[in-house]
Amino acid sequence: MEMSLFDAAAKGFLNLLQLKVFLAMMVGVSIGTFTAVAPQGLGMPLVYAIALPIVIKWEPLTGIALLIGASSVSAICAAYLPILFGIPGGSGSQATVLDGYPMGKRGEGRRALGASFMAGGMGCLIGTFTLAAAIPATRPLIYLMGSPELFVVMLWGLSMVAVLAGRRPIKGMIAAAFGLLLATIGQQAQSGVMRFVFDQPYLLDGISISIIALAMFGIPSALDLALTKLGVEQQPVPLKGSLFDGVKDTLREWWLVVRCSFVGVWVGIVPGLGSQVVDWLAYGHAAQTSKNPGNFGKGDVRGVIAPESANDAKDGGDLITTLLMGFPQGVVTALFIVALLAWGYLPGPEMLKKNPEVIYSVVWLQGIAGITGTLIGFVLATPLAKLAEVRYTFMVPLMFIFILMGAFSVNRDPIDLLVVITFGILGYFMRRFGYPRPAMILGLVLGDLMEKYLYRSVASYGFSWLSRPAVIVLLILAAASFVFTLRGRLKGQQETPASLVGAMARTPDES
Amino acid sequence: MKANFTLFFLVVFLVAAWAGWGWPNIAKIMPVYVAAIPGLVLVLVQLYREATDWEARRSGAGGGIDMDEVYEMKLDRKTEFRRTVTFFSWFIGGALGIWLLGIVIALPLLVFLYALIEGREKWSTSLIMAACTYLLIWGLFEYMLESRWPQGLLFS
Repeated sequence: MEMSLFDAAAKGFLNLLQLKVFLAMMVGVSIGTFTAVAPQGLGMPLVYAIALPIVIKWEPLTGIALLIGASSVSAICAAYLPILFGIPGGSGSQATVLDGYPMGKRGEGRRALGASFMAGGMGCLIGTFTLAAAIPATRPLIYLMGSPELFVVMLWGLSMVAVLAGRRPIKGMIAAAFGLLLATIGQQAQSGVMRFVFDQPYLLDGISISIIALAMFGIPSALDLALTKLGVEQQPVPLKGSLFDGVKDTLREWWLVVRCSFVGVWVGIVPGLGSQVVDWLAYGHAAQTSKNPGNFGKGDVRGVIAPESANDAKDGGDLITTLLMGFPQGVVTALFIVALLAWGYLPGPEMLKKNPEVIYSVVWLQGIAGITGTLIGFVLATPLAKLAEVRYTFMVPLMFIFILMGAFSVNRDPIDLLVVITFGILGYFMRRFGYPRPAMILGLVLGDLMEKYLYRSVASYGFSWLSRPAVIVLLILAAASFVFTLRGRLKGQQETPASLVGAMARTPDES
Repeated sequence: MKANFTLFFLVVFLVAAWAGWGWPNIAKIMPVYVAAIPGLVLVLVQLYREATDWEARRSGAGGGIDMDEVYEMKLDRKTEFRRTVTFFSWFIGGALGIWLLGIVIALPLLVFLYALIEGREKWSTSLIMAACTYLLIWGLFEYMLESRWPQGLLFS
């Protein structure tokens, strides 16, 4: 018998009332905070990539608590690097540098941080409430979704990623095709055919996604630290001012927070947009709707509030598509799906039918971790600022440890080390030559699921699955969004709004 | 140089299409028809764009977003190359060390040597970092979680 959503919400909360789950969330919160504050904004993809081989061996809720705790807080605390160093933090906080750093330089660093924490916390809660509201709204739809519909949804997700691969759509699609190809390595479950195994027993089960992600994101990030020698060759601005001025600013601009939070949720829901764009869209929206846009880029607190609230609300939107539809919005959610699959959950309609209490646990964790992250930001603002000064000579060995140990711990096979080096070098070249790694990871994660749904569709319905009404509707929606997105992008290349360009333009100090 | 890296994908997709051509349809739909053949077409388009400098001419047109971090290193090429090679040498050395000596010895040794030689930290700081690494790998995993790491090739 299916559980009512109210029961699921209650059970989802009660399941969290365990010491180990709480401790795992706090560990996640600490990791997320450190990741956001530590030099170069190490980024959630890297944390997920490192944590994945470890947490998939834990009980599901404990692992979920760590992952959600880390990602939720990381976004809230991501403003340290932009404000203190004038360098973009993790993706999603890049626009914050435009106004955060000028504020820091004129002695309002604490005010900017206070505004960032408050806006981030409010954004996180708005994103979480939207996610909670989406669950009952989506549930009736899941009875229309069989394997054919799920295949089309995945195809839609993948096509959007490829189209939205920014200025490099062809490279994005090449990377996604390469990811799909990698996903097919090993013995195919349906036919028993050995694909791309080349008589190597190591390749029989395919290459571990967690090792590939670890290598492709971890090694280039560590290399960045070694190249820039952060903490040695770059020094921060002093942290001055009052946190509560920033809180007051944010409360005064509550309507901007609400609007930008929904921009964040929307970006999270739309496949393929991801955190690379959310802050810029919110920043552009704030600049365009402001009565005095001339202050943007010169240290206007609204330039901090807008991107930070959107960035934190985005996680809620991300989880709507990830948990309810079953396809990822970026690398972090792709890796979250990998973890859920390893624990035996199939994200999407099946999970909403069979494990709604787990989905609600994620919602609760998201909200609790968001509040915790905001409090941590306020209480530990000054000591955390010191973390941003950690030298690369400490960070690079730390990353060596986690990358090598993370890769080796998957199978304890030395060949994994060779794989991590190979994909690390590949990740370096892909980034260097503008091939988007997230598109590859999405292809890798979706490839296996897409093949499974396609096989089930053809096996059950032959080619008549293409005439199912829900498939037709989804195909039309997918085609329409594909065409509109492509058109919008090409149009955007011809006429980018002047005000947005103005808002995004960096002053010489910041660039 | 850009074209050279695109050639890597050309080779990958060619090999994939060739290797999968003889498989039954059920096995080759995804790797050959969905990934390799469209991938080949896209690579050819990309090679044409690179050969005609299409991307460079369009780069100033604005619009569009970057899904991934954009590579913007502001170092001179010589320094960047030297630091990159050094970094990968350390990393590959660490992996080789794990294979030969085992992770319990290799990682603390890697941390110690990196901090001392590359980071120019003090002996005492480097030793403390190595000891912390040893405590993490041996103490947490082997002692507390009773998760045994395999021995290195030289000791097995």
